[in-house]
Amino acid sequence: MQMHSQSLNTAQIMRQVIYALTLGIVALFYFFGWGVFVQILLGVLSAVIFESIFVLMRGRSALASLSDGSAILTAILLAISIPSIAPWWIVVVGVGFAIIFGKQLFGGLGNNPFNPAMLGYAFLLISYPLQMTTWQADFLSLSQALNSVFSSGVDALSGATKLDEIKTGLSLGNDISTMASHSMAHLWINIGFLLGGIYLLIRRIIFWQIPVAVLFGIVVMAFLINLLSAQEHLPVTLHLTLGATMLGAFFIATDPISASTTPTGRLIYGFLIGVLIVVIRTFGGYPDGVAFAVLLLNMMVPLIDYYTQPKVFGRQ
Amino acid sequence: MANYSFKGGIHIPNPYPVEKPKIRQVPPPEQAVLLLQQRVGGEAKPCVKVGDKVLTGQIIAQTSGKFPTNVHASISGVISAIEKRPIPHPSGINAMCIVIDSDGKDEWIKIKSCNQEFLNCTPDEIIKQIREAGIVGMGGAGFPTHAKISNAKGAHTLIINATECEPGIMCDDSLMQEYPREIIRGVEVLMHGCGAKKVIIAIEDDKNEAFNSLLLYNFNDRISIEKIPTKYTSGAEKLLIKSLLDIKIPSGEYASDHGILCQNVGTVKAIYDAVIDNKPLVSRIVTVTGSAVKHPRNYEARLGTSFASVVKQSEPNNQQHHIRMGGMMMGVDIPSSDYSICKITNCIFVNDVEPKLPVQECIRCSSCTPVCPANLLPQQLYWHAKSENIEKALDYNLTDCIECGCCNYVCPSNIPLSEYFAFAKALDRKLKREQQRVERSRERFEFKEFRIERNKKERAEMMAAKKKALKEKMANEQSQKDKVAAAMERVNKNKKGQQDADA
Repeated sequence: MQMHSQSLNTAQIMRQVIYALTLGIVALFYFFGWGVFVQILLGVLSAVIFESIFVLMRGRSALASLSDGSAILTAILLAISIPSIAPWWIVVVGVGFAIIFGKQLFGGLGNNPFNPAMLGYAFLLISYPLQMTTWQADFLSLSQALNSVFSSGVDALSGATKLDEIKTGLSLGNDISTMASHSMAHLWINIGFLLGGIYLLIRRIIFWQIPVAVLFGIVVMAFLINLLSAQEHLPVTLHLTLGATMLGAFFIATDPISASTTPTGRLIYGFLIGVLIVVIRTFGGYPDGVAFAVLLLNMMVPLIDYYTQPKVFGRQ
Repeated sequence: MANYSFKGGIHIPNPYPVEKPKIRQVPPPEQAVLLLQQRVGGEAKPCVKVGDKVLTGQIIAQTSGKFPTNVHASISGVISAIEKRPIPHPSGINAMCIVIDSDGKDEWIKIKSCNQEFLNCTPDEIIKQIREAGIVGMGGAGFPTHAKISNAKGAHTLIINATECEPGIMCDDSLMQEYPREIIRGVEVLMHGCGAKKVIIAIEDDKNEAFNSLLLYNFNDRISIEKIPTKYTSGAEKLLIKSLLDIKIPSGEYASDHGILCQNVGTVKAIYDAVIDNKPLVSRIVTVTGSAVKHPRNYEARLGTSFASVVKQSEPNNQQHHIRMGGMMMGVDIPSSDYSICKITNCIFVNDVEPKLPVQECIRCSSCTPVCPANLLPQQLYWHAKSENIEKALDYNLTDCIECGCCNYVCPSNIPLSEYFAFAKALDRKLKREQQRVERSRERFEFKEFRIERNKKERAEMMAAKKKALKEKMANEQSQKDKVAAAMERVNKNKKGQQDADA
């Protein structure tokens, strides 16, 4: 007798999230080339190794732990967040930090207060800012990608991230419209992740509250900042289509383990992430704010959850 | 259709629908094993001895105390044993049972009840007859019906729970299709007994046949038959009241506090049998279903009939089985089928043995939150129940959990959440008991201290009083002495004066 609903189990949920990332990854590949896959492969490989070692050290079955798919998902999320020309040890160190300090030290899957991928990302960004903010402008062939990852010799190709570029441009007094026209790649990548996110919503793997609230938070905050002075700041549309906006809203902020669990709480959690993303992008020193916004809100989850408990049947 | 449905709950398809609603009669067994342990009110005391001859319907045991419930002989024959037998309970414990060997005649005892002229009986007489007949809640809760009616005296609304929301159980559905006239009449008896002015019979909207057959026999305009949406846990008393009347019974209060009485439709049929048909509760309808039986069916079986003999009629396969008493969601797994049917056996699941799904870590996905009919946060509650942090679990309203198992059903990690909650509740009770014990000991100790102190004080006071009295006495004595001395002196003086005069 089937005592459970026919819906997905935990491993299947993780797998579905990975499938939903495909469109965005294809877009990344289209614009940045083979480096994307090299990073993903490296990330997944190191995730499997780190996860196995630590789970075995904790005296549990490595196979059972790997089969839930969470380590692989973490590795993929981190690998697609870092520049595809970053040297190989960046992703290895980042995934190692995410798996060990982000997850296993807290007791493994389900017990981590922070989003492991974003913890790994933040660690990398603080420790290796140069490698983490150097993106290439063009499509890389497989050999170019391997070359850049394993012997880091692509200085000629590289430049700052799009967000960085625009921010620098704005501070130099350039016109926003001319710079924005170069952001086609980001637009398509964000559309890819948006479609993947919509798939997750339809499959009811993520709840609608978080992504909607994140996007709403971004729109509201970007609009308010634009009221101050439209000339010096990114317009609302670019906030939505640049950087890791859609990836963050649908795949990062919705990580159930580190997100708020109450319906109202999810709205607050998502909204504040959206607000912080714009605040960090506008006033912060880092190119994108998704990782820090998510980590900051992760810390507030217990508080949010406690004060947003739904009214229990028959209680005041 | 009533449309005040509650939040949460899930639609679960019936895994093995019965072929035909027809109720099959199971012939009276050769031997009946009647359980003395009642769900509510403790163990019944036998009032017969081994070797006694009993008739069907004769009272053979009775519980005393607040909720007296009678146990009746379900077949006629000879009492062959009064001993401990295994009972349908997950732990597989033994409890006292009365065993009757049939004489094959099924002779009934003559009982006089109100019959069709029940309106001439007072409500108290009807309640007394329900008590005499040993009727308990037939939906599975097993609460003595007479006590429930007495508690709800003066109720304005009577709700008949015919939802049968738990997937798998189908006995009420077929009961309504086969005995609509009896059920309507039973409702009228119950109305007279509790004094309610209005009756709602609630049926889930997937039971059209049952709905129509009741409609066909209902000529009483104070009885309305309403459909509610098919959803698991709609049969839970407070949620049913919410669905029908849009009244939320506050946590910690009962429906009877709000002038509402809920009764299961199976109980209503039992009331009809007792009050109109002169038959105490000696049989019930049982659904036999599950993956291991060829024909899922409903049976009417005498209480005390063995599970195996009823299951046999549904042609189970020859594999190893997994037996469950009650519904798919809230039933209890029992170790084997060597048990007999008791008053609350509404369903027997006979399943093939399947490997248990591996339990994984909670990923806080909160799929359990929208399905919880009590509107709890099962995922947070699980966290605290698992770490045995009862105080925090109570803070998250642990006591409002109805253990319906909706959260288990949707959990992607296969975590048996409601089992954790049941465990946490048991732990809470234990802690409370311990606390009370400590409190009592403390009180006793403090009283002892107080007593010692008081005795000391009293003693001191007594001593002081005594001393004072003595002193006073002594002082008195002194003055006495003084008086004596004065008198002596006077006497001496006089004597002296005399002597002087003489001289």
